[in-house]
Amino acid sequence: MEYKVEAHRIMSISLGKIYNSRVQRGGIKLHKNLLVSLVLRSARQVYLSDYYGGVCVRSPHAGGVEWGEGDQMDSDGSRSTPDEHGGESALVSDDSVRIPEVSVNGPAAAVEGQDIEDLAPGSDYNCQQSPQEDVGSVKTEGSGSAETGGPGSGSEHCVSRSENSQQGSAEVTATCCTRKRGAERSASAGSPVKRPKATAVPALPPVGGEGEGPEDMDTGNVSSLITIFGSSFSGLLSKEGAQPATDSEDSDSGKICCEQMLPNLNPWSTAIVAF
Amino acid sequence: QAETTPLLPPADIISTVEFNQTGELLATGDKGGRVVIFQREPECNNEPYCQGEYNVYSTFQSHEPEFDYLKSLEIEEKINKIRWLPQQNAAHFLLSTNDKTIKLWKVSERDKRPEGYNLKDEEGRLKDVSTVTSLQVPVLKPMDLMVEVSPRRVFANAHTYHVNSISVNSDCETYMSADDLRINLWHLAITDRSFNIVDIKPANMEELTEVITAAEFHPHHCHLFVYSSSKGTLRLCDMRAAALCDKHAKLFEEPEDPSNRSFFSEIISSISDVKFSHSGRYLLTRDYLTVKVWDLNMENKPMETYQVHDYLRSKLCSLYENDCIFDKFECAWNGSDSVIMTGAYNNFFRMFDRNTKRDVTLEASRESSKPRAVLKPRRVCAGGKRRKDDISVDSLDFTKKILHTAWHPAENIIAIAATNNLYIFQDKVNSEMH
Repeated sequence: MEYKVEAHRIMSISLGKIYNSRVQRGGIKLHKNLLVSLVLRSARQVYLSDYYGGVCVRSPHAGGVEWGEGDQMDSDGSRSTPDEHGGESALVSDDSVRIPEVSVNGPAAAVEGQDIEDLAPGSDYNCQQSPQEDVGSVKTEGSGSAETGGPGSGSEHCVSRSENSQQGSAEVTATCCTRKRGAERSASAGSPVKRPKATAVPALPPVGGEGEGPEDMDTGNVSSLITIFGSSFSGLLSKEGAQPATDSEDSDSGKICCEQMLPNLNPWSTAIVAF
Repeated sequence: QAETTPLLPPADIISTVEFNQTGELLATGDKGGRVVIFQREPECNNEPYCQGEYNVYSTFQSHEPEFDYLKSLEIEEKINKIRWLPQQNAAHFLLSTNDKTIKLWKVSERDKRPEGYNLKDEEGRLKDVSTVTSLQVPVLKPMDLMVEVSPRRVFANAHTYHVNSISVNSDCETYMSADDLRINLWHLAITDRSFNIVDIKPANMEELTEVITAAEFHPHHCHLFVYSSSKGTLRLCDMRAAALCDKHAKLFEEPEDPSNRSFFSEIISSISDVKFSHSGRYLLTRDYLTVKVWDLNMENKPMETYQVHDYLRSKLCSLYENDCIFDKFECAWNGSDSVIMTGAYNNFFRMFDRNTKRDVTLEASRESSKPRAVLKPRRVCAGGKRRKDDISVDSLDFTKKILHTAWHPAENIIAIAATNNLYIFQDKVNSEMH
């Protein structure tokens, strides 16, 4: 469908922008990256809404709910064209990447500085509309086709719901998980900060395992991400590889965000051909 | 009709333009960290065209590139904003800021110098004391005018994020600086501390949903200020209510039109600039496609909305790809708050007359702006019948953008920054808008 292709393309472009922002002079621009992440989220929701609307429950991988682990993409034959941005591709986890479950209150969360933080897709964008549902539906599995929203205006919470169900296991049991899908429980109109961002919680199955229940992704443990990526994409990630210890803080936050986000971008693992 | 006087300041891209309170001085900042100040020549009565042209008054390097070793970040020297202080003595003061550091500069003239020192000769070399046989009192002798600029204060280390705005309070003693997440209040004489008055940083950065995009003090009420957000909201805050103004006194927000929803709705609703009217009764905001006038007494929607370049609405995806959608256009009021102005692409800028509801599109370019030339209104054709001289949307040059504009506080003189060129247009007769 057209809009799916469009959404896909927009996601690709957005990832490229986020990646490029890391190497910009002057540090990462929080405002721009926030906006890009919002677009990325919207595009992803549209993309996924249709994606899961048309696809049955995927087994074998834990109800096909893994978040961004490319499991679904395994079963999805389609691969989008490799992205133009080599670097961007490099950042996307391939199917084999598993992010270890670690305490979430990592450095990224604590970073003061040029954080672009939360580039989690699928977050409050739609959660504002249907907060409780998101949370509630999280635990259900695989009813991916359940509520497929169209990409149109009503898609906000429809999409989020389908996403959620797709994520099924991806839930936020993590109290410490910084990525909570779940919305704005305490959204207060007064202060923008008080709206909890409903971020998708990537459920990362244990290495080599099948996606099980909700797992937390350590959004802060960049060094492990780097190690994983580095081993998968040697040479491409010389930059990251060279800075394994520099998680958190600032200029790496862009990297952190990319790497945090990318595993969430389920469809992306096939979209980006690792090389 | 307007007459033009194109000027060509330093080759770097102009990043801010600001008249002082009398309009006598015009300051520009550029990406290279330089500030160039223009001064209006006094009008000569004999020559009809010698009416207050702006000439370079002073140039200085305000900010240099820096490197934050702790964060391994380079700090750009680009001047983000310049604000003049109200003049209180012979010297002029201005604040200039880059992403992290605000500086107060004193601009003063020297047209006399002391001569006749006892211990120094004319070149400043020390005299042999034994040759001094009598004492004289040094006298001040006239000299060629020299403009001296010196840094008086450096307000540093108060911003973790990029500073986007500074605004001098009407009390002339304090000013505020705003970055993406915080606003700090400073006293002009104190550099080692500032008060944080707005903090929207969430405890968990993952929950970040919006950032501060611009902030300004009310022109008359020293306790009121406004800040705009990336979500298209405006918050009016009263500093008397609490030390930390996280709770707004008023929230200005227009509900989104669902029919316009797209992937990019959020980006285009982000407010790039906010300006109080000179009267203090209204607010002017600029988002990607429109300028809006808000009444301070009406929070639920703007009083007026003007389309700047609605023909771009169908091209948002391309504009996202080439990053143009992130361009931050500024907006300006004229002295009487009856006309508003903002920039666009292709070196076009737009003016909207709030009373007659007429608008005009003008172009700032060397080809069309010879000195004393009259600006010709332009038109962008978005399909449909195309008239001669119309520009089609597809042939707009998106690399030529007018982000920074300024209007003289009292007269119909405007300063337009077109990349690395500064254009100053003066209105000789009442302009006709259509």
